[in-house]
Amino acid sequence: MACIGHSSMAFGNLPVLSKVDSLPMLGDTLDLKGVEVYNLPVEKYASGQSLIRVTERDLERFQGQAFTEFLQKQTGLFLRQHGPGMLASLTMRGTSAGHNAVFWNGLPINSPSLGQTDFSILPVGGFDQAEILLGAGGALFGTDAIGGSVHLHTKLKYNQGFQAQVQSNIGSFGLWNQSVQVGHSVEKFSSRTQVYRNFSRNDFPFRNLSKIGTPVERHEHGQVLQYGLVQDLAWRPTDKSQLSTSLWYNSSDREIIPLIGSNTEDQQQDWNLRWVMDYFYFGSKNTWNFKGGIVSDELVFNVSSVNKTRQYFLSGDLEWDMWPGVQAKTGVRQTFIFGELSAYNASENRSELYHSSNFSLKENLQFSLNLRQLIYDGNFAPFTPSLGGEWTFFASEEQQIGIKSMLARSFKVPTLNDRFWVPGGNPDLLSEDSYSAELGIVQQWKRGNFSLDQSLTYFQMWVENWIIWLPRGSFWSPENIRNVNNTGIEYNLNSQLKWRGYNLGLSGNYAFNSAINQTNIDGNDRSSGKQLPYTPVHKAQGQIDVSKGSTSVFVNHQWVGQRFIATDNIASLDPYRLWDMGLRYQFPEGFFLKGQAGVQINNVLDTEYQILRLRTMPGRNYQLNITITL
Amino acid sequence: MKNVRLSLLLLVAAFGFLACDNEGPQIPLGEFESGVLIYNEGAFGANDGEVYHYKGDDDVSADVFERVNNRPFAGLIQDVLEHDGKTFLVANTGKVEIVDSRDFTSLGAVSEGLDITRSLVVYDDKLYISDWGAYDGDFNSPDSYIAVVDNLSGGAIQKKIEVSSRPEKMHVLGSRLLVANAQNMDIVNLEADTLLNTVEIKGIPAKFLSFEGNLYLYARDAANVYFHRINTNNFTVQSTIEIALAGATSNLTLGRNGEVYLLTSTGWPDYDDAVAKISLPQAQVAEASIFRGSGFYGIGFHPRDNHIYVADNNGFQGNGTVIILDESGSELRTLPVGRGPSGFVFK
Repeated sequence: MACIGHSSMAFGNLPVLSKVDSLPMLGDTLDLKGVEVYNLPVEKYASGQSLIRVTERDLERFQGQAFTEFLQKQTGLFLRQHGPGMLASLTMRGTSAGHNAVFWNGLPINSPSLGQTDFSILPVGGFDQAEILLGAGGALFGTDAIGGSVHLHTKLKYNQGFQAQVQSNIGSFGLWNQSVQVGHSVEKFSSRTQVYRNFSRNDFPFRNLSKIGTPVERHEHGQVLQYGLVQDLAWRPTDKSQLSTSLWYNSSDREIIPLIGSNTEDQQQDWNLRWVMDYFYFGSKNTWNFKGGIVSDELVFNVSSVNKTRQYFLSGDLEWDMWPGVQAKTGVRQTFIFGELSAYNASENRSELYHSSNFSLKENLQFSLNLRQLIYDGNFAPFTPSLGGEWTFFASEEQQIGIKSMLARSFKVPTLNDRFWVPGGNPDLLSEDSYSAELGIVQQWKRGNFSLDQSLTYFQMWVENWIIWLPRGSFWSPENIRNVNNTGIEYNLNSQLKWRGYNLGLSGNYAFNSAINQTNIDGNDRSSGKQLPYTPVHKAQGQIDVSKGSTSVFVNHQWVGQRFIATDNIASLDPYRLWDMGLRYQFPEGFFLKGQAGVQINNVLDTEYQILRLRTMPGRNYQLNITITL
Repeated sequence: MKNVRLSLLLLVAAFGFLACDNEGPQIPLGEFESGVLIYNEGAFGANDGEVYHYKGDDDVSADVFERVNNRPFAGLIQDVLEHDGKTFLVANTGKVEIVDSRDFTSLGAVSEGLDITRSLVVYDDKLYISDWGAYDGDFNSPDSYIAVVDNLSGGAIQKKIEVSSRPEKMHVLGSRLLVANAQNMDIVNLEADTLLNTVEIKGIPAKFLSFEGNLYLYARDAANVYFHRINTNNFTVQSTIEIALAGATSNLTLGRNGEVYLLTSTGWPDYDDAVAKISLPQAQVAEASIFRGSGFYGIGFHPRDNHIYVADNNGFQGNGTVIILDESGSELRTLPVGRGPSGFVFK
């Protein structure tokens, strides 16, 4: 354990974290007879890039909760969260909410009108696992991936027979989440159906700072109801082909918790339907993939503001061995976007041509080169190349040490709102454009019953033509006005020790993000040279797990540093620190039920904190969950 | 009487000095009785409205309300008014905070029952608070009202007088309350607290001005500004001064000799803002632009040093700036202030 203390020392008292990113695997072999439904690993052509892998086990205790909760508590990423269950937008590497691409089963699901995803309407349960790639992914994944990309997956298996699972989660403030999952699979066919309903009265007490004497009141307007359906199917008609499809319908009905001091009773309904179909053909030297999908979003705000967007995707790519040691993937993607919003109607066609290649020069030295050109309605988005590499320069039986590096350009096409909003939309906007460079070191060490994975990454990024909305006369209008320089450090640690029947785990991460605005909008503006608002320079998180036999306990801690409220860095919010703890019990063999149960206390010290100014967050709260497998 | 009050003040101040060394912020009594109060509306969705205090030269103190009362104002400040030692901070997020004008300590509030509050006047020891009422489904305001509170220190609303849509500024004339609405002017009987009648107004009404014993209601449209002289006997429009001026906003202030300083904005595509100077006695534009810029959000005229105060919101990305001009429009000084500065109270 001594070396864990050592590794965290570089960052003072900051504890360490989970899910160390690993060197992405190259040249994975296809096992067509295997039980896993095949999908191309997202990190396959991402040599040099940092990866956070979120497994089914990591998500276990977050069942029915928003993905927000997992990311906020278990990673170094920061989400601007407007309250529990309320709007939550992700900021990666000091970029803004729209500067990360979000995918579900390979389908980009950022709203084309808003250009971002509300992570509170992505309940854990709509997907089984996730990968988060930090840093520019424009060449590999297309628009929006300036700060990084988030990839959600459902994971089907063959040959599992009949499976069923019931999950229930009850907790403070009327929390009641329920899900039922039924699956059946044979050698060549697999199906799974899941339905869920997540409810919270969300009437947690808060201190009303806007009133004389700051009385403690309860929220009367924060109820959240979500329900949804996920259907996955996979079929292997022959040994050389696979057809798979997934559908996710999520309905969310929220009363919007007002800001302290406001008496608004806003409500928002979201209906999101996503459907994807993949066909793979596995030739002897190449693999064809054809993908089609639909993403249909409807957002209704206060009944009368109805905003509908629909996206249709068609893509085809071919992966082949170019030369010995060089594998490549070339493809095209076509996107048709239709928007029918309360403020405007718009449609758009996007065409993308992309090429990725992996060069395995030696067993311990690999490169990925990615290229992409996107055209939207006749406009050329910035041509994006990226070059990444990994070199394991030390390898022994006990440990591996490698360095990884990436140079990349990335971009974001202006959103439909940016260009077409009436009034104020600016059709002449350019794509936001970024250049980035990063360098990291990764260590994997194992001795006897002890293992340690850690990584340290340094990055720099220059973002240009950043779009901001400015008040212009009687309305607001967006302009390509801001340039931002981002610099940061990410540290991850994951260690395990087996000792006298105990499994001890210590994991943690620390993120340093300096995001410095380079632009004043006019002579009186005092924003240049200052950190972007609501972008904490420091965030740290750590967790200790102890398990023995069928029982496990955890203590999780997160610390978020000061956040400035506006671009001139005059007012700020204090850092906060939260502790969670929980216990989980796996029913033993021979027990009349199969499954597990857990109890969990969030915000153990009942800390009063605000993530965003005057946005309330709950104090100490409790959850009880049970999973029964048939 | 004045001397008695002063001695009392001195006594209290001396006692305060001796008694509480280690308590809260040391705000000298009477600190806010001089200088300029700058109210910063705050950004929508952030409720960070605050009051700044300017004491001259470069001396600006920030966040006066929070500093004195140890809690955020937590609202958007729409208007600030002073009456008989009390300062009323009107938040369009549905509250009125009442503080002691001398030291800004909280005296009370109207915090229940208001919706989108706009302005306030005092009559007969009662507060009359204009409020748009809650929006309907299409963001219209069909349920606008004037709330009546029977206590100058706030508390419960006694009555809501239904008025035309979107009441803004008000003016008390005898026992009548004149209400400038989005499209017309309402006359309220203050003896019975009932709506008497509605007067059609050319242009969009914004603000009442008193000049040479006459009361004017300022209104505007895309091409003209209007100063409607109100007949103080029957509360109708007696005559109108119409002046051609494009892009006038609702922000204006009365200077010396009937000179009105008014913010204009060209709108799309240039978004040039300017300060126009209008002569009321001559009924014409004296100078269409004495100062130019962008993000102009409020204007005031300092009656003693004859300086024009222009508030610049700096695009609401961060805090704003106040630009102090002389009467010819030459810039004298800029002051860093809070988010969305929009108005001034000159002491």
